[in-house]
Amino acid sequence: MSFLAPFFLFLSILALPILLMYMLKLRRREVRVSSTLLWQAVLRDRQANTPWKKLRRNLLLLLQLLILVGLVVALARPAVATPSISSGSLVVLLDASASMRASDVDPSRFEAARAAVRTLIDGLSGSAQMTLIQAGFRPKVLASAENDRTELRHALQSATPTNGPVDWKTAFALAAGAASAEQGGAGAASPATIVIVSDGGLPETGLPPLPGEVRYMPVGTFANNLAISALALRPAGNNLELFTSLANYSDQPRQVVLSIYRNGELLNAQTVELLPNDETGVSLPDLPTGEAIFEARLEPAGTQEGPLDALPLDDTAFAVSQGQKNRRILVVSKGNFFLEQVLSALQGVTVYRALPSAASNEGAGGGIQLPQESFDLYVLDGILPTAPDSNLPVLPEGNLLLINPPPTALFNVTGTFTETQEARVADHPLTQFLDWREVQIAKARHVQLPAWAETLVSAGDNPLVFAGETDGRRIAVLTFDLHDTDLPLQIAYPILIANLINYLAPVQSIDAPENLLPGESVTILPGLGIQEVAVASPAGAVSTMRPNENGLLFSETGELGVYAVNFLKEKSQSVEYFAVNLFSEGESDIKPAATIQIGRTKISASEQEKLGKRELWPWFALAAFIVLVLEWWTYHRRL
Amino acid sequence: MIFDEATLRKLNQLTLASSRVRAGMIKGERRSTKRGTSIEFADYRNYTPGDDLRRLDWNVYARLDRPFIKLLEEEEDLAVHILVDLSRSMDWGDGESNKLHYALCLAAAMGSIALSSGDRLTVTTLQSGKVSAQFGPSRGAQNLVQMLNFLEGLKANGHTNLNQSVREYSLEARRPGLAFILSDLFSPAGYQDGIYLLQSKGYEVSILHILAPDEMDPPLAGDLRLVDVETGQAEEVSLDGGLREIYRHSLKAWQENFQNEFRKRGIRYMKLVTDTAWDKVVLYEMRKQGVVK
Repeated sequence: MSFLAPFFLFLSILALPILLMYMLKLRRREVRVSSTLLWQAVLRDRQANTPWKKLRRNLLLLLQLLILVGLVVALARPAVATPSISSGSLVVLLDASASMRASDVDPSRFEAARAAVRTLIDGLSGSAQMTLIQAGFRPKVLASAENDRTELRHALQSATPTNGPVDWKTAFALAAGAASAEQGGAGAASPATIVIVSDGGLPETGLPPLPGEVRYMPVGTFANNLAISALALRPAGNNLELFTSLANYSDQPRQVVLSIYRNGELLNAQTVELLPNDETGVSLPDLPTGEAIFEARLEPAGTQEGPLDALPLDDTAFAVSQGQKNRRILVVSKGNFFLEQVLSALQGVTVYRALPSAASNEGAGGGIQLPQESFDLYVLDGILPTAPDSNLPVLPEGNLLLINPPPTALFNVTGTFTETQEARVADHPLTQFLDWREVQIAKARHVQLPAWAETLVSAGDNPLVFAGETDGRRIAVLTFDLHDTDLPLQIAYPILIANLINYLAPVQSIDAPENLLPGESVTILPGLGIQEVAVASPAGAVSTMRPNENGLLFSETGELGVYAVNFLKEKSQSVEYFAVNLFSEGESDIKPAATIQIGRTKISASEQEKLGKRELWPWFALAAFIVLVLEWWTYHRRL
Repeated sequence: MIFDEATLRKLNQLTLASSRVRAGMIKGERRSTKRGTSIEFADYRNYTPGDDLRRLDWNVYARLDRPFIKLLEEEEDLAVHILVDLSRSMDWGDGESNKLHYALCLAAAMGSIALSSGDRLTVTTLQSGKVSAQFGPSRGAQNLVQMLNFLEGLKANGHTNLNQSVREYSLEARRPGLAFILSDLFSPAGYQDGIYLLQSKGYEVSILHILAPDEMDPPLAGDLRLVDVETGQAEEVSLDGGLREIYRHSLKAWQENFQNEFRKRGIRYMKLVTDTAWDKVVLYEMRKQGVVK
């Protein structure tokens, strides 16, 4: 124990007056009595009988000295060194990634981390504050500049590990903000210290710098994990091929049984030998097509007892095979060989051609009538179809690809231009692999870019190709006639058309990347006539959404497994699936890191490096108060 | 003034109510246990008609040809000795509860009864181990006023040494009779030798132990230095409830001790507290005890 204000110990000199008062004779009041004869006898009697009286005087002295001691010590602020990371305010980043669920530390690394943070809370000095940030896919601030320890413990208890990786960039940004806020706001003597409680797995680069001191509390002891690092389905000829990759993140060679299930039925099981720190690929060809859910499972090989590895989350993976649904495309054109050729080459589409109307009158745009049926995509080549009943040009409801468009309600067309030499291709998923360098365009329509569209290819300020979403439908526009360019003769042509068709008439209504990580968002594009969309998570939690003009964003993808998306129409419903898997080397490689690197600084584990101090003065003050009550009681026993 | 109108009136009533001051039971019985079986001859008296002829001394009549009545000891006029402790410790208490006042009233009461009964009264004061003042011996109610004046002028002074003073009193040549000692018995030097000597001289001793109420239960508390008014001695004491209890206990034991000792020797002992009206004491308590008839 040490004293933070030892000066006050000098007050113990007050003990001297107390002692003096007791050592000097008691001042007694003089009283006359008729005779002391009897009193002498009484006093003689008393001496023999009650040692308590003699003791009582000494007892009072002792109690008063104790009170003095208690008060003086309390004033001198005794403090006990408690093991803690820091003695000032703290900003704690609690790693809630999937690797923290590893069971190499009993019961899990996350619980160990929780216990570590609990000792941090206990070691907080009186005025220190703590900010607790749960670092997951979406970092969450659980407690902000909180001084009350009960609140902090409560917040800590509410932290849960996730199934996916951590967005360290955002977590660091939150921590930096909290650290500077605490420093500036509280005006504390020592700046806030940032403590990272994690098992490593921070990205080497790309992290923002952190102000103040950064400490690292490692969690986890050993790495012993096997994982399915990839699972994909590829069409091969008329069938499907399943490809899976197994990774061994340990230093031992491992033998494991890989089981593949299709719609719950065991399809294939094989024993796979894995070398240490190695990946092996396994492929399963000739699988039937059609809608199915594939599951890959890792199980211990025959002789091994106990669980397979420390992290079971990545020992299962799912893949969804959607049945091939042909998309219906209607081409409204006066005849375009290039268009028809490229569209028929695409897979998974059925192309229809709109016929000219019966009473073909050469009006504005030509008399091609819009059929009654609905299509997934309308390709309008230079003209607008006429409505079935009114013979007026109309823009069809639904997704559109407009080539050499006439003026429409969607955008303004003002003349033409010819300066198309310097074409620039914007960096966009739709322009992937697009090489426009050899493309020459004679002339193009001058279209004013609408607000909802993004330019994909432009010449100067004039867009050549643009696309976007509006009113719940996707529209792409080529502002030039295909006959005015040599694009159809270039390799860029089928690539561009394929990209645009996939964008405008997607196979699935769910726009989910193949390896969707927990926490990532999924865009759901309900088609026309869908009234409600219900998403069921693997555990069974259902969330319903109403389609709106912007498409639906579903982000509750924290669980691993297969999600079912129900599209509810008025009289029917359809179901599609998507899978969320933990395909993350960062998380599956659960080797705990002894040091972490932030920018150029390497931070090693700091175990109780700095000793915090916990003040004890409240206890001494309480003790002094209790003794005071005791002394009062003893004093009053006389009367 | 001690003896005011009210007091004097009370005295009167008492005198009328009582006839003799005497101690003890029927003469004969007590006499016999004390002195043996014979009746002792004391003196002669002229015959007056109506006297009991059995008492006539025929031998003297034969010789002198005049009738004389044999006077037995009992028929001698009774000597009543009242000894009042006049030490400074007696002057304790306020007003009516003053011990000295009380003692003097009691002395006056018994004195006036004795005088009216035709007894030979002597009132003496004891102080500092000596006999300090004396009234009498007197006989007859005409001396009442004189006695009261005597008592009126008494002041407490000096210390208590009952042993010495009583002893001195008993050694002086006097006719023994009834002796009443009015004191608080706060005698550090003791009391036994004096009193027993008195008794052995033929006196019938009665002790009236007078105490004030605040001597019975002192209203004191705290850290005190008790100073004795007589000796000036100091006792340091830290009083609390417990100690007072012990004091009361001590006092009770002390008085019980007196009772036992005096009873063993046939000395009458009465515990008196000054808050009890003295005339009631004389009228009832003393009658009960047989001190007054």
